[in-house]
Amino acid sequence: MRLLKLFVPVLLSIILIFLDARFSYLDNFKRFTLTLLSPIYVIVDLPGHVIDWVNDKGTENELLVSQNDYLEGQLIELKAKLQTYNNLALENQKISKLLESSYFIPDHNVMLARIKSITQSRLSKQIIINKGLNDAVTLSDLVIGSDGVVGQVSEVTPLFATVKLLSDPTLHMPVKNSRTGARGITKGLASNEKGMVVEFIPLESDIKIGDIFVTSGIGNSYPSGYFVGRVKSIDESPNSSFMRVSIDPTQNMNQLELVLIVKEKND
Amino acid sequence: MINQTQLLLLLKVTILAFILGSISLPIILELVSPFWLLIFFIYWLIYSDSNGIFSAALILGLLLDVLQGAILGQNALALIVSSAFILSVKKSFFVSNLTTQQVYVFIASLIYLVLFLMTHLVVQGLQIQWLILFVPFTGALMWPVVRFLLAKLKQ
Repeated sequence: MRLLKLFVPVLLSIILIFLDARFSYLDNFKRFTLTLLSPIYVIVDLPGHVIDWVNDKGTENELLVSQNDYLEGQLIELKAKLQTYNNLALENQKISKLLESSYFIPDHNVMLARIKSITQSRLSKQIIINKGLNDAVTLSDLVIGSDGVVGQVSEVTPLFATVKLLSDPTLHMPVKNSRTGARGITKGLASNEKGMVVEFIPLESDIKIGDIFVTSGIGNSYPSGYFVGRVKSIDESPNSSFMRVSIDPTQNMNQLELVLIVKEKND
Repeated sequence: MINQTQLLLLLKVTILAFILGSISLPIILELVSPFWLLIFFIYWLIYSDSNGIFSAALILGLLLDVLQGAILGQNALALIVSSAFILSVKKSFFVSNLTTQQVYVFIASLIYLVLFLMTHLVVQGLQIQWLILFVPFTGALMWPVVRFLLAKLKQ
């Protein structure tokens, strides 16, 4: 009788593992349950909130004014750089028209989100951000930092969203070499905190150490052109049809506080 | 069935375990931190005389899977089998000294870790950071602290 009592839950767990690994029938159940459990995240994040609040209250007016001046300076500098970029984009469009190319520079909306000091499974690389369904965050949205791609939204609740980091072994992102256009797919390495490889690049492709890989936008699942990583090493094994390119993410994930959620504009 | 007092204790230890498990730590500490839900559940289990232990383990394991974004059933399976081990040594556990109890917690954590990694191996391949193998040790080390704190909570 006791064995039967043990057997039924064990069998149920195994069935659930199989269903969750192979199909997506349970996704809605997971989302609903996570929404119910999200007060746990609120509690865990509370000390961080209090510390932020105390810091904000304790910040002197003088410091705020000087920070504001510095940020205004940065804004002017970035606006100036943007003018050059806009010029280049217009030039590019003209050349594309002349060449009758269908290439265009996509227009995106971005939304700022703050990373919560909450941890998840020790075998997956994920972060929680303070934007969710209520802020129109949807599954598969691309998340970027100031230096490149951070990851992809993998779960959404009304108040929070889970972002699977680029270095997670289960996240695959189509990328291309910004210099040569050679295409591949990234894969994270669980055994290395920030290690990543680009797979499915044919042997003898033109790849050099230091090359930058950017999102390719293939399949329209990700916007194109965002920095992903810089080539660290290249392994061309004669037994394989593809080379193995190790890259370092351009975005340092360790001291990240704010991220941007990228959404394509719907006209 | 689980009576009301035991249910209340289970609720308290579960919430505590979920909160502790969600606190962000430096990567090394995060990897070696104990399976909090298992340790807290062991405490509840040794003071519980109810019948619904495996069902409770299943539900709590599934909730943890959802909370941690893990494969649904991964923590549940590990928690059920580890609880079966603790149940089999429950009488001895109850009267043992602290060191023997730590050995039992170590074995239960080891069972949990093996099943946890096996599920991961089957579904995603075995790519892990080796520090995770220290989790049974930290679990055993933390047991006296957890037992002391939960005894206070139980009062």
